[in-house]
Amino acid sequence: MIRPTRTAEGVAALALALTVVAILVANPASALAAGSLAIFLLWRGWRFERDLAVVINTLSVDRTVERTILRQGATVTVMVRADCTIPQGVEVRLRDIPPAVATAEPPFYPPGRTATYTIRVMAPGETSFGGVVVSARDTFFSRDLIDRRLRSPYIRVFPAGTRSVDGGGKGTGGGEVEVDRRTALAGQSVRGFRPYVAGDDPAQIDWKITARRGTYYVRQLTGLEGGAPLILVDLPARADDRETFVRFMAAVSGAVEAAITSRDGCSILVIAGPEIVRFIPRTEEVRDAFSALAGLEPTEPRLSLYRAPGPAVLAARARSISRETACGERPGAVLAAFVRESGSPFAAVVREALALADAMELRVYSLLPPGDRSHLVQVVGEAKVRGMRVVVFAPAGITAGIPGVDAMEAI
Amino acid sequence: MGFDRRFLLLCAGEVVVIAVGNIIAAFIIQVIVLALYLEDRRGYPVYAVAAALFAATVVAGGVASLLVMAAALVCGYLALSLYDYRIGLRARGEA
Repeated sequence: MIRPTRTAEGVAALALALTVVAILVANPASALAAGSLAIFLLWRGWRFERDLAVVINTLSVDRTVERTILRQGATVTVMVRADCTIPQGVEVRLRDIPPAVATAEPPFYPPGRTATYTIRVMAPGETSFGGVVVSARDTFFSRDLIDRRLRSPYIRVFPAGTRSVDGGGKGTGGGEVEVDRRTALAGQSVRGFRPYVAGDDPAQIDWKITARRGTYYVRQLTGLEGGAPLILVDLPARADDRETFVRFMAAVSGAVEAAITSRDGCSILVIAGPEIVRFIPRTEEVRDAFSALAGLEPTEPRLSLYRAPGPAVLAARARSISRETACGERPGAVLAAFVRESGSPFAAVVREALALADAMELRVYSLLPPGDRSHLVQVVGEAKVRGMRVVVFAPAGITAGIPGVDAMEAI
Repeated sequence: MGFDRRFLLLCAGEVVVIAVGNIIAAFIIQVIVLALYLEDRRGYPVYAVAAALFAATVVAGGVASLLVMAAALVCGYLALSLYDYRIGLRARGEA
């Protein structure tokens, strides 16, 4: 909304004083003076809004970027010039809004002048400028308005180069380079060992290590741990803190890049509440992966699961009740019947996505905002049905509260 | 300093408007004072017509016309807010 300047505040104070005089002295002339000053301010506000509309309707921005394809962390110079019709008595200044994944300090500049500044892009993917801030003021009012129509050009950012083991990376040679890639053997060789946890296959216990350490250790096979993970991106409904969201997307981009460069690729599933936004199964191409992540913004879901845990969790509860209740299997059977009848379309789609991804590990990236997390409960439930390991990546200090999560890591 | 002098002149003009006594004369002086106060008088007749209507209301209702004024101000503010919202929508490319 428009803001009054000091001049408008002075006139308003004068009108108020005249109103008090009119009421105390019962003087019609004072009432006329007070009322006409109030009308005057209203008229100026209306005129300012009309002038602002003229500026917005005629605004055009010519933005030139040195390069539109660049590497993550690179700096690039931006030249921008805006033109618009400036009504008499109005002062207009503009300021560019750099891409959300870039750091920059764009200057204010008047229409008709070219401004130059530098941006540094911090996260890979396709991105664009956020528009321009139009700052208009006249004698009585001022207003800062964000024009988001003028976002071109689009910039494609590729991740920083993969680090080689020997610490190289410079130069343009095409020789063999050993990369930090885990083994992709088809056979099930042993990749490592970890302590036994309830539910592990006893056949995988390594008795030598167990005897040496005095506690059960199981073998971790490459066939189980080395597959392409499924990366789930849970878009928040809104981004009250833009910086947090940008950091979140940067973490997702980094995870995707790491998964592709160090493993056999990855699958990407983007959801906004109980809605599937994008899904890319088993990709090994960084470009495809980043095109899937490009332009993701906080999305308010149109549907709600109303805290329904989904068929997988209900089925698990039914089995648990059947085993534990002293009064036989009837309560569990009743719940199981409800489970069969209450299918969730979202869970069904997720089930298909998990089957297509064929991953052994689910990595959930979420800001875990307060409220309904039943969509994550359903996804994790379906993943556990397939025997997948589930790791949740969320901001530090937030607990997931989702059953079936094997580990949590801070973004 | 220039602003202060102009504002003091406006205040002095308002004192003259109150001192005149006659509503018609007060209205004419008020329009002239505000016209002198402004540098850019685009659309000023629109204001003059609205002020004339209010002067007629004061002649008819006296000080009680301030209640009418208050109601008109609220409506005007709402209309301005709606217009501003539409401009914001247009700027975001949603309208």
